[in-house]
Amino acid sequence: MALEVRGLTKRFAGLVAVADVSFLVQPGEIVGIIGPNGSGKTTLLSMMAGLLPPTSGTVVWKDLPIQDLRPDIIAGLGVVKTFQNPQVFTELSVFDNVRVASHLALKRALGLRRGLEIIGAARGVEGRLAARVGEVLALCNLGGAADQLAGNLSYGEEKMLGIAMALMCEPELLLLDEPASGLGRDEIRNLEAVLDKVHRAGTTLCLVDHKIGFLRGLAHRVIALNYGQKIAEGSPEQVLNEPAVIEAYLGAGHARA
Amino acid sequence: MTGQALLWGVLYALPIFVRGDFLLTIFIFTFIYAILAVTFDLIFGFTGQLSMFHPAVFGVSAYMTYLLATTYKLPFWVATLPSAAAAVVLAMIVGSICFKFRLKTFYFAVVTLAFSEMIRLFVMNWNSVTNGTLGLVVAAKPTIYWPGSGIVPIKGPIAWYYLTLVCLTLTVLICARCLRSWMGRCFGAIRLNEDLARTLGINVFRYKLLSFAVGNALASFAGGLYGYYTGYIDPGYLGINQSMEVLAMVLLGGQGTLIGPIVGSLVLTGLPHAIDLRAEIRAILYGAILIFTILVMPRGIVGTLNAWRAKRGA
Repeated sequence: MALEVRGLTKRFAGLVAVADVSFLVQPGEIVGIIGPNGSGKTTLLSMMAGLLPPTSGTVVWKDLPIQDLRPDIIAGLGVVKTFQNPQVFTELSVFDNVRVASHLALKRALGLRRGLEIIGAARGVEGRLAARVGEVLALCNLGGAADQLAGNLSYGEEKMLGIAMALMCEPELLLLDEPASGLGRDEIRNLEAVLDKVHRAGTTLCLVDHKIGFLRGLAHRVIALNYGQKIAEGSPEQVLNEPAVIEAYLGAGHARA
Repeated sequence: MTGQALLWGVLYALPIFVRGDFLLTIFIFTFIYAILAVTFDLIFGFTGQLSMFHPAVFGVSAYMTYLLATTYKLPFWVATLPSAAAAVVLAMIVGSICFKFRLKTFYFAVVTLAFSEMIRLFVMNWNSVTNGTLGLVVAAKPTIYWPGSGIVPIKGPIAWYYLTLVCLTLTVLICARCLRSWMGRCFGAIRLNEDLARTLGINVFRYKLLSFAVGNALASFAGGLYGYYTGYIDPGYLGINQSMEVLAMVLLGGQGTLIGPIVGSLVLTGLPHAIDLRAEIRAILYGAILIFTILVMPRGIVGTLNAWRAKRGA
């Protein structure tokens, strides 16, 4: 088992954003989390990445409870999250954005010896990481934009850069928050191809999205949320035919039809 | 890059052409203030933390360097090292408190200012050691080893000019090396987007503290130099006006650059002396320049020049 979410709950004053949600993510899986707007998907993912402390419940990653750890420690353990609204360092070039994200890789390669890099004694590792940045950019089809300022990218490219930065952290489990939202058809096709390559390379994926068509083609297993509660779990076909899911998305009339 | 090389070249060659003691004295003050401004920019311009703690470190290291050198008969350079260590300890304590509570922007500025004031009051009232508001007279001079002459004291404007310029150069080189490495990348990431930096595995607390400690440790040398150069140390070293002057230098020269603070220091230290202004008028000039820069040239002189060059090249 890679990651286990047990009874995770988040309350904001009187509002229960996530209510007692439990599920597993197995190594090598692609798990999709669906639900209408406001169903608690992003809150759930933020708690898994340590960006929000849960009110109760646990998140266990490889037998280690991580719900109270800082996001940077969780990222160091191999669980990395991307943002729904693309977050990039707008004043830096695309290359430098991904270069910043190589911090964990440098730490793993050198440990405390990275102090040597200040006096220029670790150029070999730095060189290897710079080459790796080039590879990640090529994988995400951003190689041509490497020298551009991140602030000048299109929305779709910014989202892809967010994924490239997350990949540079060498994640074992990549948490993607609505990666397809706001993208055009070609961009979604590109995203699917990139995620497919990332998955083939051995990364476990957990995606949140409300584009059902996008998740149907990609996810092995889907979890549906509504008003913070898990209302269904299973293969994409099973979940999408579940009356509770249809009702949540389209209303009670469609669920009966 | 060529502009920078030209600036350094001119500064190193200047005493060959300029023999006037008055002008060299202005440059000596400029270089000491530039050390403060560059190290302040490491914390402010590069890491995004508006620190008001520089005067505390500047003052404490001035007192400590002198007191250690006289009490334990240490050479100036040896005495600067425990002073730098004390600056690191102070920075670690104040930084840990501020960054643990996630104080940012003006909250961070106000709390660091409060700590700085506390230290100033402590120094001012510790009469038995610091001589209170009367201050201390520094008669000794730093010494260096000079081939052929052995250990010689630094005397006269030309010797002081080169001593302070070399110290400034070393400060800039150390900062440049740090900024070119992963440290600089982490500082930049924190300045630009702290939340994103966290999700990329960067320990924001640790790197803020590192920037604060390195900046303050390097700034401590300016305090020692200033005390020995002027021959007088008083609690005014730790005053809030020092913070404002350094901030004005960095904003005018260009924050987030290493050359900007030097240019800012050249203008703001040199100009009022060159046109011989009284202290009150000088404070007004600082204020006016600060307002002008923020409104008209938010990137400062060097930042604006860089942007203009980039635009022309594109």
